[in-house]
Amino acid sequence: MQALNLDYMLGLVPILLGYLPLTLGMAAAGMVCALILSCALAVIRVSRLPVLNQAAQVFISFFRGTPLLVQLFLFYYGLPQFLSFLVSINGVTATIMGLTLHFSAYMAESIRAAITGIDRSQTEAAQSIGMTNAQTMRRIILPQATRVATPTLMNYFIDMIKSTSLAFTLGVTELMGATQKEAASSFLYFEAFLVVAVIYWIIVEALSWCQKRLEKRLNRAYQR
Amino acid sequence: MTAFKTLARTLAITSLGMTTLMGAATAAQADTLRVGMSGSYYPFTFVERDKLQGFEVDVLNAIGEQTGDDIKFVTASFSGLAGMLDSGRVDTIANQITITPERQEKYAFSEPYVYDGAQVVVRKGNDSIHGVEDLKGKTVIMNLGSNYETLLKSLPYADEINLKTYESNIEQDVALGRADAFVMDRTSASQVIKDKPLPLQLAGQPFSRIENALPFRNDDAGRAQRDRVNEALDTLRDNGTLKEISEKWFGNDITSLPSAEQSEKTGSDT
Repeated sequence: MQALNLDYMLGLVPILLGYLPLTLGMAAAGMVCALILSCALAVIRVSRLPVLNQAAQVFISFFRGTPLLVQLFLFYYGLPQFLSFLVSINGVTATIMGLTLHFSAYMAESIRAAITGIDRSQTEAAQSIGMTNAQTMRRIILPQATRVATPTLMNYFIDMIKSTSLAFTLGVTELMGATQKEAASSFLYFEAFLVVAVIYWIIVEALSWCQKRLEKRLNRAYQR
Repeated sequence: MTAFKTLARTLAITSLGMTTLMGAATAAQADTLRVGMSGSYYPFTFVERDKLQGFEVDVLNAIGEQTGDDIKFVTASFSGLAGMLDSGRVDTIANQITITPERQEKYAFSEPYVYDGAQVVVRKGNDSIHGVEDLKGKTVIMNLGSNYETLLKSLPYADEINLKTYESNIEQDVALGRADAFVMDRTSASQVIKDKPLPLQLAGQPFSRIENALPFRNDDAGRAQRDRVNEALDTLRDNGTLKEISEKWFGNDITSLPSAEQSEKTGSDT
């Protein structure tokens, strides 16, 4: 049994932290795009728009039904064989696009569930005072659905942060890729992966704290 | 809603930063040689304290000095490297790529610049395996997409070997005793055993000669790059630079054919 190499671990921390902005940046950009796309998909699904609804169903089925790594490889290495202009898309962009497509499929279903979970009487009440469908959706349903969907969406964001670790297969050295390389030269696997695990853990804990504050805020209207 | 606004602003700034970053990464010029490598193959290409280094890095930089090209290194996990070359994201791969007939059909290879052998490595104290002939009934691991898989599968008793391919960290799994042996080139294996704390040992002699070279895409542009690199390799071999780099990392010269084999090769090539 060899002792834990603490000096090595401490030395690794500032190096790995240098890759944190890229990891968080890819996750944040992916989350913003995924939120927009998933809201659109959810509204299409709920309002059963013809053709678009079927298209959304196929989209969701594909991106939920295949692993993210497969999608990234298909998109980054596979498609450029046929569409050569796709070569100009670099690893960072491809990762963000992959995260967006993959996670928006999951998020669309949560948002759809949150919308359909709002009692039907709310819609009826809104329409009784003369609101149009769009107004009802925007003013009555979506604000309430946001509150219901927030915890699940935060969960997906956390998952997304951790999924950025796949970017190294596309040539993007992010937090996990940097750790892999350091571990492969020092052969101090336990030390290196322990450091990176703690870094991920701290980020997610900080996010959970933000989530609590956000939920409290969204719950204000319901407190007596 | 102020919290949302601040969040939105932060995200806007982040994405702006990312766009600049992306713009810089895509601007590849004609006189830039983009080289893919894993950065995880000590001591050929590895990262220590955030610095990419190793034998391959030195060789490619020396080639760049000869040809006048800017050398731009791109690191990706090993299984992603071939895809990067095929899809035109890098121009070549410097990661101890072994010349094989299948690969020669697809890529335009430079001349070899490393001569090495395939080596079986086991956990320290394991005296039941003395070479490739003792691998029957054993679990043997190697890197995904590496040539060693093909090599072992061509053995007459391949069915009796439990072959597994890994994305990375094969050394650790043998050191832990989870697999019986791994296969790698002899040079890296010896260097890892010498420099690193893992309990490993070489099992017998290398069982197959391997020649490493730089693969280029087999089109006009790729072959032109290959020819320029070949010229540079010739110069570096003649002026002793290749030998110097090899001795710096390995203490001996792995860049030229062992003299015994050289005479064998010029004689009757069996």
